[in-house]
Amino acid sequence: MSTVRVHGASKSFGRTKALDNVDLEAGPGVTGLLGPNGAGKTTLLRIIATVLAPDRGQVTLLGRDPSRPDERTAIRERLGYLPQDAGFHRGFTVFEFIDYVAILKQMTERRARHDEVRRVVALTGLESVSAKRIRALSGGMRRRVGLAQAMLGDPALLVLDEPTVGLDPEQRLRFREMISHAGEGRTVVMSSHQTEDITALCSRIAVIHQGQARFTGTPAELTAQAAGRVWTDTQRSPAALAAWRTGEGAYRNVGDPPAGAELIPPTLEDAYLLLMGEPELEVSHS
Amino acid sequence: MTAWHLDPEAIRLYAQGAAPPQLAASAEAHLMKCAACRDGISAHVDTRRVEAIWQEVADRVDAPRRSWPERMLVRLGVGEATARLVAATPTLRGPWLLAVAGVLALAAWAAQFDERFLQMFLVVAPLGPLAGVAVAFAGGLDPTREIGLAAPYSGLRLLLIRTAAVLAVTVPIVAVAGLALPGSNWLAAAWLLPTAGLTCAALALTARVTPVVAVGVVAMSWVLVTAPTALAGHLHLAVGIGAQLFWLAVAIGGSLWLAITRHTVTIKLGRSA
Repeated sequence: MSTVRVHGASKSFGRTKALDNVDLEAGPGVTGLLGPNGAGKTTLLRIIATVLAPDRGQVTLLGRDPSRPDERTAIRERLGYLPQDAGFHRGFTVFEFIDYVAILKQMTERRARHDEVRRVVALTGLESVSAKRIRALSGGMRRRVGLAQAMLGDPALLVLDEPTVGLDPEQRLRFREMISHAGEGRTVVMSSHQTEDITALCSRIAVIHQGQARFTGTPAELTAQAAGRVWTDTQRSPAALAAWRTGEGAYRNVGDPPAGAELIPPTLEDAYLLLMGEPELEVSHS
Repeated sequence: MTAWHLDPEAIRLYAQGAAPPQLAASAEAHLMKCAACRDGISAHVDTRRVEAIWQEVADRVDAPRRSWPERMLVRLGVGEATARLVAATPTLRGPWLLAVAGVLALAAWAAQFDERFLQMFLVVAPLGPLAGVAVAFAGGLDPTREIGLAAPYSGLRLLLIRTAAVLAVTVPIVAVAGLALPGSNWLAAAWLLPTAGLTCAALALTARVTPVVAVGVVAMSWVLVTAPTALAGHLHLAVGIGAQLFWLAVAIGGSLWLAITRHTVTIKLGRSA
């Protein structure tokens, strides 16, 4: 059963069309939105987080209609949201900030609220910095604080906008672990422009480009679209849409291979490059 | 290790909190060093009570320290959670309040020398509280606005709480500046009802546009109407007795509108957030 159903969603800001007739479904597990900066991922996630309403289209979240105020509140009670530019009251300590968000999540009973804050602090490995001011934390730790506040109340739907952006490799691995854990038994919708994160975490993906969903399906289905279109050579091929020299010294070419090319198995990144590089490419919708 | 151990009766009394002071002190010191007696006492301990005590200790240790505005609000009967929301209002930060006080002090000072500046004070006075309301919900200054909008807490309620907090702080600042005006006439208080009317109008507009835009529209309208009349020497048209009744009606109308639409109104998010 789908926790998130978006059908024909469009959203414009003035003359800029941020989303154009987008469909998306997401159920338990991690669903990833992949796309370049400015593609419309954040707008779509804001709609799923009930922060924005679409100009057109239908949205159903957790079986409810967010355009109705009473149902929207019910959705928000079971929703966790990490915005792309999650801001903090920098003078707050980690505990104070998460406690503040817990109040916004209507946890008004002090003792129970503090117990819940302690739970998410432990869940995200922030115990040792719980009493530290947020302004004294590294970017990675702040991102964890953002995830911790999103996990308050054990939400059934978790919306994460670029959760791994700006993190070093070790922090990204730790974040992947936490998101993977969060995706067990609940629906997580996250955006990224890092294909490695999507490959590692997501059971379903949607590639968003110029406000449109260019592909929806599994990572394997997207990768399969690049089968027979990736090859190695001693030099950059003129036929390649993209080519780069690998650590072994050979060129990895992505595009339409010449006859006799040494084909290699594609990756998700190859398929993504092909999808982005060929606007007219016919894509499958599964 | 020690050869002496607590006897079963001493353990029972200590565990029940019934041991005399000397025995309790002695038992406590011994338990710190003796694993065998600690094992012995564990069977007598009420685990629920220990759990409750431990949670109380943990809560005291890592619970947020209340800032002085929070403590003051709680003493005044405001709920602990609401006090925390008020304390996080961006507008209530020192630099912003100092800026408001500075502008108004300058306007009051200028009014000492020229009648036109006296009238301009009345144009400027409502803008301080009004700007405070905008800042309280401005995306750039409220870092958690987007998180707040996705939370079940009513956006309108949060806006009203913050507006009340801003008015509670900025109105006295304006009032003090008004008292410094030359002469003891009605001008010193003539800004109050326009401020109330403009604020309620701005809040009512948040059903249609973002709080910042709502305040911007209302403030701009106020300035466009009052500044020329003040410069022409006809400010009574904007703050005279007839105008005061108008602003009172606007304040009541805006409040009623908010009360009627409180369950359906949605605080909007600007593009820049």
